[in-house]
Amino acid sequence: MVRHVIVGGGTAGMNAITTIRQYDKGASEIVLVASERPYARMVLPYYLKGDISEAHVYTATPARLRALDVQTYIGRRAVGLDPQAGTVTLDDGTQLAYDDLLIATGSSPVRPPVPGADAADVYSFWTLEQAQAVLHRLRPGCHVAMVGAGFIAFTILNAILARQARLTVVEIAPQVLPRMIDAQGAKLVEEWLRQRGVHLRTGANLTAIEPADGRKRLRFQEGEDVVADVVILATGIRPNLEWLEGTGLAINRGVLVDEHLRSNVPNVYAAGDIAEGRDLVRGEAAVHAIEPTAMEHGRVVGANMAGQPVAYRGSLLMNIVEVLDLEIASFGAWDDPQAEVSQALVPERFAYRKLLWRGDRLVGAMLIGPSREVWTSNDLGMLKGLVQSGIRLGAWKSYLHHHPFDVKRAFIAAGTTARLLPQTVLGSPSVPAAAVAVRRGV
Amino acid sequence: MGSTVPGGYAGKILRVDLSTERIWTEELTPEVCRTYVGGAGLGAKILWEEVPPEVGWDHPDNRLIMATGPFAGLPIWGTGGLTVVTRGAMTNGATNTQANGFFGANLKHSGYDAIVIQGRASRWVYLYIYDDTVELRDATPLLGKDTWETQQALEQLLHLSGHQLSVYSSGVAGENQVRFAAIAGDYGHVASKNGCGAVMGNKRLKAVAIVRGTKGLRVADPRGLMLAAEEIADDLKYDPSTRSLYEYGTLPGVMNLLRLGALPIKNYTTNVAPPGVDLDKWTAPGLRNGFPHRGYQCNACGMHHCHTQVLPAGPHQGELVDEPEYEGWSAGWAMGCTDPVAVAWLNTQIDRACVDVNEFGWLAGWVMECQEKGYITKEQLGGLELRWGDVEAANRLLQMIIRREGFGDLLAEGVKRAAERLGGPAAECAIYTLVGNTPRGHDHRARWEELLDTCTGSSGTLDSGPPVRHTEWGLPARFSTFDPEAVARVVGVTRGRRHFEDSLGACIFTTRTYMATLCRALNAVTGWDFTKEEAMRCGRRTAALLRAFNVRCGITPDLERPSKRYGSVPVDGPAKGQDISKHWEHMLDVWYETVGYDRRTGKPLPATLRELGLEHLIPALWGSEEAAHARR
Amino acid sequence: MKVLRITPDRCTGCMRCELACSYMQTGTFQPAKSVIRVSPFEAYASYAPYTCPQCAEAWCLTACPVEAITVSPVGAKVVLDDVCVGCKLCTIACPYGTIFYNAETGKAFKCNLCDGQPACAEACPTQAIEYVEAETHDWLGAFAAERAARHLTTLASA
Repeated sequence: MVRHVIVGGGTAGMNAITTIRQYDKGASEIVLVASERPYARMVLPYYLKGDISEAHVYTATPARLRALDVQTYIGRRAVGLDPQAGTVTLDDGTQLAYDDLLIATGSSPVRPPVPGADAADVYSFWTLEQAQAVLHRLRPGCHVAMVGAGFIAFTILNAILARQARLTVVEIAPQVLPRMIDAQGAKLVEEWLRQRGVHLRTGANLTAIEPADGRKRLRFQEGEDVVADVVILATGIRPNLEWLEGTGLAINRGVLVDEHLRSNVPNVYAAGDIAEGRDLVRGEAAVHAIEPTAMEHGRVVGANMAGQPVAYRGSLLMNIVEVLDLEIASFGAWDDPQAEVSQALVPERFAYRKLLWRGDRLVGAMLIGPSREVWTSNDLGMLKGLVQSGIRLGAWKSYLHHHPFDVKRAFIAAGTTARLLPQTVLGSPSVPAAAVAVRRGV
Repeated sequence: MGSTVPGGYAGKILRVDLSTERIWTEELTPEVCRTYVGGAGLGAKILWEEVPPEVGWDHPDNRLIMATGPFAGLPIWGTGGLTVVTRGAMTNGATNTQANGFFGANLKHSGYDAIVIQGRASRWVYLYIYDDTVELRDATPLLGKDTWETQQALEQLLHLSGHQLSVYSSGVAGENQVRFAAIAGDYGHVASKNGCGAVMGNKRLKAVAIVRGTKGLRVADPRGLMLAAEEIADDLKYDPSTRSLYEYGTLPGVMNLLRLGALPIKNYTTNVAPPGVDLDKWTAPGLRNGFPHRGYQCNACGMHHCHTQVLPAGPHQGELVDEPEYEGWSAGWAMGCTDPVAVAWLNTQIDRACVDVNEFGWLAGWVMECQEKGYITKEQLGGLELRWGDVEAANRLLQMIIRREGFGDLLAEGVKRAAERLGGPAAECAIYTLVGNTPRGHDHRARWEELLDTCTGSSGTLDSGPPVRHTEWGLPARFSTFDPEAVARVVGVTRGRRHFEDSLGACIFTTRTYMATLCRALNAVTGWDFTKEEAMRCGRRTAALLRAFNVRCGITPDLERPSKRYGSVPVDGPAKGQDISKHWEHMLDVWYETVGYDRRTGKPLPATLRELGLEHLIPALWGSEEAAHARR
Repeated sequence: MKVLRITPDRCTGCMRCELACSYMQTGTFQPAKSVIRVSPFEAYASYAPYTCPQCAEAWCLTACPVEAITVSPVGAKVVLDDVCVGCKLCTIACPYGTIFYNAETGKAFKCNLCDGQPACAEACPTQAIEYVEAETHDWLGAFAAERAARHLTTLASA
């Protein structure tokens, strides 16, 4: 029986396992090595906010893993890989032999290189454990300093404010969400947040985090100090590549993978935040480190490990975050400097659309608008569909240039639905994960 | 949302004072809902309470009320419109005029049942409404734009399309306070009567723009509502009295009325179609299928009524126009035009210019006749030659009128005032009532009930319209339109029905079912126990309020009569020789007695007011006279 | 499987489907919460309704990190409210733009075919929406392309 070893129980790893079982109905051995019980990182902000309990966070209960007939090493880390021998070594010395291996060990937060940033009472928000630490420090009226105004930071703004904390966000870049939206969009978001009582400091160069009578003092190159009760660092993440050094794996920013998510080493696959695979729009290899890419990677690699030669078209970079009912999203090559740009702004409705063109194809898009607005939610998916399908918009290009908010008319009239229907990832009907079980009553 | 307000209501009236640019809301109480329902009823109440006699149509304190009702925004057919109530420019009396589209639905979903506008802005503004955001915004960039251009410009500005944005405006006619300026929106829906658009223009309000709101409307019994809505729909579809309306809207009117001699042709100079007219084109299927067309219905409406057409031929081939209603087609005939494509084009120009299509029809037909007979010269018209049937020339006249250029300035005062100013033989050709308005697009000399209704109406137009399911009130199914007694009785007994319909927030075409059925729908929506008798009483209450308002404004029974031409005897056609004037006084006697108003003063009698729960009007209306009257 | 077949040239833009749908979604008549959405394709005219094609390999279902989207007995992809946390990943994963986020409930919502009795099809007075056994299909594309051609021409000349 073939033995698949999956290292990493995050989105990529769990999707791979479910997909393998969807295809092979249990005709293989699966071993999962995961440093934590598998949970969904995307839902941690809702846990922090108090919308859901801890139990709701986990994606794979022990029962589920049993039903999928998975042998587990939970709480263990992989520390070594020997491709020649076909073995993985765990932190307790266990050696696991594999027929094929999936590397899906994800990424970790990076702390800024300033004095005091590594203190134990300065928090990151990435793992469940870190989320719990933050949760226990948040009190109504307390002052939270968020260092970084990127996607991760933005996912927890709602939770912090819902817990009635006061919030100051400091960002080194001149704008919020610098890796997700352009300056014009950021201005709109900043205005929205300021109107709702959030203090923002962009272009702020943090120099030190110091203790201050049980609180923390943040010092900057310029401007006043910020004194806060809780400091959360959200200054980026990097792939967990350390354990792969010297294994012969081709690594750039991440583990380089082909269209079947194979690394350069036979029988070794990589997926998710650690993998550097094809970007759908740009065609080049990229580390996206986003949930949707991890999910698709997991499904595609699972199919391939189960013997289905599924070729992957590539991942579409996309992000969505909602702060205080303002939706902010971008797709594809939203920052492509070579692209032609169409954009429109309705400041009084906090609505913004930006379309990026190569020829008559949409290669990227950006959307900002209040959640309650019908057209916000309409345009979201359709912009994704236009970028994903790569459909040629012909005469609709100039229409959209003048009417960037009338996405739907162009989407439908260009026949995008017909083009999308056969465009699938695995080419087989999706099955809810809960319905994929190979052992029952165990 | 007010927690005590019955189902179907948003619960709030939006108040706007243009003079101070203050905007506020007022809670709607359950008592007001039950007593006046909404629309015309609510408008009549506010008009009576807030517009005293010294506040004329062009006084800043005049109120412009745009009201919906409990049905608006719900899945009952034809429930997207608005009812405009104001002191209007034509009669300087009460106005009650309806337009459909999506205004009412969008307003209700934004959380308001009605808008009441007062004051006069110091700059041109438009009112922007989107849920809790209500603002007066600079309308300078919209000035000079017609109703369609105004809507397009706001769609562009706000980046919205289709029914996401409803815009009602009064065009260039409104800007220049043309007396018969209308309020129109959503590409072809017009509240056309009594110069409500002139009031809007006088207030320097260029447009009202409502974004489709995001709020929910609760109803008492949703399942009951759907069932009642289906019952109304089924009745409209299958009842012989409404089936053709369901299939073709008002298109069958042209041939039906031609057969009765009630189609107005060439300004009432004939009732016979000119030789050589291809009447097949004028049948309902001919008018519908003679154009590429697309259904263009109002909120939740299943009628095959409103359509958009593409002009298939002629100088304007390819243009999208609104399929004319009967009134639009008949205005063409009144000007002697028998080419449907030409009339369809002109009709949309009239909508866009934003004047009452009837008034313009009578005006253009009158000028054509007068020019033919030499009563109005080409020189007077600034070189314009206006021959029978020439729609391009009619459109040039229209543009002169809405800009008040040259002779257009006089014509912008409407038929009655222009005729009285010119006097002589020209005045004798003009069709109007002495109150100041003009009839709907019929030849009422062959439709006496509507002639009586138009002259006695208190709304700037006819009050009751053609009788609908009148057997519900014990009236005979059929009666002769030339039977003065029967006609006056029917008009009197059915009075109030239209007012009730127009209080529901529904179209007066989709309410052409039994009152009992309408009540079932209303009760499902609100949780009330309306009977058809209470509904009729509610409508009669509104009618009496509007009548009382007009009496207080000095509109007396001596003005309730047709102009010479309007009341003349048809010279040919099926109604040839029928002379209403011989019966007029008797018809008024019967009508007054039936409706319970005072024949001498026109006032609703104290007993009538009491019966309608309007006893609080008695002191203002009757004062010490009441006692004297009681002795008589 | 039975799907919502749209015959766009029957649609008159009355939006009754949106009202009926929103009632199923929220218990009130609130078209902003409808999951079938009607829009024009030729200037202000030529309306047609658009809703979830219930695609077989469902983008929304696979995107959900908490398995809150499942397949109902009638084959609809449905959101389980008690599982959904409102992360909105489904709304950017769906390339058709037919799954939405409700800021009031904090949940995603989409067409669930009303468990086999779609309210929109029942409400449509012109049978532009029918619930029939068929392959899912791009019901609007050809219609919209034809009607919109005029729209584009009109704009070009304006």
